[in-house]
Amino acid sequence: MRSVTINPARMCQPIGAMYALFGVHAAVSLVHGSQGCAAYPMRMFNRHFRELVQVAVSSLGEDASVFGGKKNLTTAIKNVIARRHPELIGVITTCLSETIGDDIDGIIREGKYECKVVPIHTPSYVGSHVTGYDNALCSLVSHLSKEPDAVDERINIVPGMVNPGDIMEIKQMLDSMNVSYTILSDISETLNAPLMLPKPPFPEGGTSVDEIEDCANACGVISLCEHAGGSAAVFLKGKYGMAADTICPIGVENTDRFLAAVCDMTGGGIPNSLEKERGRLIDAMVDVHMKTYGKRAAIFADPDIALALAEFVTELGMDVVIISSSTASRKFLQKAKSVTDGGEILNGRDLYELHRAVKDREVDILFGNTKCKPIAKDEGVAFVRCGFPVYDRVGYHRYGIMGYHGGVYLTDMIMNAILEWEERE
Amino acid sequence: MPFTLLKSDKPIPEREKHTYIKAASENLLPRCNVQTTPGDFTERGCTYAGCMGVVCGPIKDVIHLVHGPIGCAYWTWGGGTRQNLSDNPGFHRKYCFSTDMQEDNVIFGGEDKLYKSILEAHEEFPEAKGVFVHATCTIGLIGDDLNGVCKRAEQEIGIRVVPFNCEGFRGCSQSLGHHIANDTLFERVVGTKEPEYTTDYDMNIIGDYNIQGDLWVIKPLFERMGIRILCTFTGNASVDEIAQAHRAKLNLMHCQRSTPYICRLMEKKYGIPVLRASLFGIEQTSKALREVAAFFGLEDKAEEIIEEEESKVAPEIEEYRKKFDGKRVFIYQGAPRAWHWIPMFRELGIETIAAATTFGHEDDYAKICARVNDGVLVLDNPNALELEEILSELKPDLFVSGLKEKYLSYKLGVPFINGHSYENGPYAAYSGFLNFVSDIEKAMFAPVWGLIRREGHA
Repeated sequence: MRSVTINPARMCQPIGAMYALFGVHAAVSLVHGSQGCAAYPMRMFNRHFRELVQVAVSSLGEDASVFGGKKNLTTAIKNVIARRHPELIGVITTCLSETIGDDIDGIIREGKYECKVVPIHTPSYVGSHVTGYDNALCSLVSHLSKEPDAVDERINIVPGMVNPGDIMEIKQMLDSMNVSYTILSDISETLNAPLMLPKPPFPEGGTSVDEIEDCANACGVISLCEHAGGSAAVFLKGKYGMAADTICPIGVENTDRFLAAVCDMTGGGIPNSLEKERGRLIDAMVDVHMKTYGKRAAIFADPDIALALAEFVTELGMDVVIISSSTASRKFLQKAKSVTDGGEILNGRDLYELHRAVKDREVDILFGNTKCKPIAKDEGVAFVRCGFPVYDRVGYHRYGIMGYHGGVYLTDMIMNAILEWEERE
Repeated sequence: MPFTLLKSDKPIPEREKHTYIKAASENLLPRCNVQTTPGDFTERGCTYAGCMGVVCGPIKDVIHLVHGPIGCAYWTWGGGTRQNLSDNPGFHRKYCFSTDMQEDNVIFGGEDKLYKSILEAHEEFPEAKGVFVHATCTIGLIGDDLNGVCKRAEQEIGIRVVPFNCEGFRGCSQSLGHHIANDTLFERVVGTKEPEYTTDYDMNIIGDYNIQGDLWVIKPLFERMGIRILCTFTGNASVDEIAQAHRAKLNLMHCQRSTPYICRLMEKKYGIPVLRASLFGIEQTSKALREVAAFFGLEDKAEEIIEEEESKVAPEIEEYRKKFDGKRVFIYQGAPRAWHWIPMFRELGIETIAAATTFGHEDDYAKICARVNDGVLVLDNPNALELEEILSELKPDLFVSGLKEKYLSYKLGVPFINGHSYENGPYAAYSGFLNFVSDIEKAMFAPVWGLIRREGHA
C-alpha cells in the first residue's frame, strides 16, 4: 500500500465535531488549536450549506505550543461566554493541542463557567471527520445526560453527518406516526436558516441543552449512521439500559426496518400516509427500472451512507461494482462484503485509488461528493452527488435522500443523471 | 478619542487599540500584527495557510505534499476556496498530496513516511518539476528533520525537493506564512536556472495569484508595451520561471503584504529595483502602466495602450458611476486590497466608510489611513461579532470581504462581494474592472433585497 495519500477521501476529526455542535441550539464550537483549524472547516460548511457558521478558536501560538495552552483556553472560554452568552461550549481539540498534551478535561473541570462546557477529543491524526462527529456526540450525551426519572415513549435519533433535508424526512415520518422524539443533534434548521430580520443571535432550532440532559428518559435510541453517532447510542444503552438500534434509512427495505424499529420501541403503528409514501417510492422505482437495471455502480460516501446506498441501488437492479468508504473500519469491511456480490471494496482508501478502480471496473454510474466529480468527468460515467461536501451545485443540503419520500427524490436524481449521461455526446 | 471600543468588545478591552477612527490631525494607526485575543471569533487563518494556501499553492507544476495529519491537505486541495487559476488544470489544483500522519507516526516520527511519500508521489507524477513539502503543526512539535529528509529524497529522485517550515502555530496570522514561503523560494529556487536569453525589457510581476485569471488580463497590457514577463510570482507560475526570476530588470509588486520580502531579497542580491503598483480601477492601472513605461523608456507605446483601453471601458464605467454615486462600502480584506480598493471605489462614486484587514502590518494601515476620509473606521483583525456590529450599525450599501463573512452579510441583508476569490472575475486592470463594477451592480441592485421582511411586518 502507498505511503502517500493522493486526493484524500476524508477530512479530520474537528470538522465532524463542529458538524455535531451546529445542531445544538445556542452552542459554540471552540477549537483549541491553530487558527487554521477553525477557519478552514468553516469555509467547507459555507460551501456546502451556504450558511453562516461561527467557530471560536483559542489561537494557540508558538509560546502556547511550548508552554501549554491552558491560559489560551481559559481566556477563550471566558471571552466566548462574555460576548456570546451561549448555552453550551464544545471544546474541540486538534493535533496541536493533543500533541502538546493539554489536559482539557482538567482545565474545564477547574473552571466555574456560566454555561455548560464539554471537552471533545478530536486529534486529527486518528480517524476522520466521521470519528470526530461520533466523539462529539458521545461527549455531549455522556457529559450532559442525567439519570432518567420519568421514562416515556419518546425516542432519540442520532442522525450522523447527514443533511438538513434528511432530518426533515425523518421528522416528518415520526410526526406522521405521532411518535415523540429528540434529534441528537438537529441541524435541520440551524444549517438551513431563513433570512428574516432582525437576525437572531443564534440560528433558531437545534437540539436544546435541556433536551440532551433529558435524553435518558427516552425509551430507545436509533443511530442512523453507526460510525457517526453510534457511540452515543452504545453509551445510552450501556449506562441506562436503553433499547438501541442502528439503521440507515436509505432505500425501501432500510426504511421499512427503521419504521419497524420505531414501532417496536414506541408501540406505535405505521399510518396509511406512510404506506402511500412507500407506494410512491415503489412507483418511482418501477418508472425507471428499465434504465437502472444492470447499471454498474461505484459508491463513495461515509461508511454507513455508502452501505445503505449500495443496498438501495441494488433494489434498483444495479450491480455494486465498487463500494468505497471515506473512513476505514472493520465493520464497514464486513458489511460491505454482504452488500456487494464480488464488488471491489475500498476501505478508507483515497480517491486516487477510487479513480483507478472506476477505470478498471467499467463503471456506469458514480455516487460521491464534489471531490469525485473529476473522476466522473475523466471516465465519462454518470454522476450522482451525495454526501459532504457538495459545493459545485446548490441545494443538495435541502433535500433528503432518507425515508420513502427522500427515496423518491434520490430515484429521480439517479434517473436524471443516467439520462444526462446518455445524452452526453 | 481616536481609538474606540465597540459595544461587542466590552469584555475584551484590548481590542480598543485595534479600532481606530481616522482623524487627519493625528498620526495614529491601529495596533496590528499581534496575537489574536483567544476565543474572539477571529476570521484569521494560520501560517500554513499563508505559505501553502496563498504563496506556494498557485505554482502549477510541482507536487505540493502536505506533511501532517489529513485535514490540512484537504482544506487546500484545489486551492481550497481560492480561485488561483493556471493553464495546467490537468494536474494543478486537481491533485492533493498528504503524508496523512497517523498516531504511530506522531509517536515514533514521520520521517520514513515522508521519505516514502516523496518517492511515491514522484513515481506517480514523474512529469512534476519538483516536490514542495509543507509542514503542519504536528511536525514542528515532534521534530521531524524535514530538511534532512528532503535533501535525501532530492538526491534519490533528482528533482528539487523543497521543505517549507510553515507550521500553523507559528506567527499570529497567515502573514508569517507568506514570509516563510518568500524566504524559502528565494533561498532554494530563485537563481537556480538561467533564462535561455535575456532582454532589456524583462520584468517580473510579483504578488499576483491569478485569482479567476487576473494575470490573464494584466500580462497582455505589459506585453503589448514590448515588455517580456519573465516570471509571475506565483499566479500560474512554473517553478522554472521562479528559478530564472533573478534576471529581470524590474520587479512590479502587486500584493504588497505577501511579497515585499522576496522583492527586498532580490533587490539586495541581484540589484533588481521594485515598483509598487495597484492594478485595480482605471486610474491606478493607467498609473502603473505609465510608471513601468517610464522605467523602460516605453512611454509612447504605453500612452497608446492606455488611451485604447480607457476609451473601451470609460463610457460604461461612467454610466455605472451615475448609478452608484453616494453609495457606501465597507472593505474587509487580507490586507492590501483594503487600500487598493479605496481609490477604486471612489472612481465609482462609492465612499469607504470602514476598512479592515485580517493580517495587515503598519504600512498597510498607513496606506489605508492616507486614503480614507476623516471619521472612517479602520479596524485590525476584526472578529465575527465586531463585523456584525459594524454591518448592523453602519449599514453599508456593500460589504466586500471573503467567504466566511459572506453569509453573515447575507443574513443581515447587506449586499456582498467576495473580494478574495471574486464572484464573476477577473477583477484586475481595465476589462476586469468592468467585471467588478458589473458585480457591484448585481450585488447592490438585486431585487431580492427588497423582499426581506422585518419582524412585526404583517
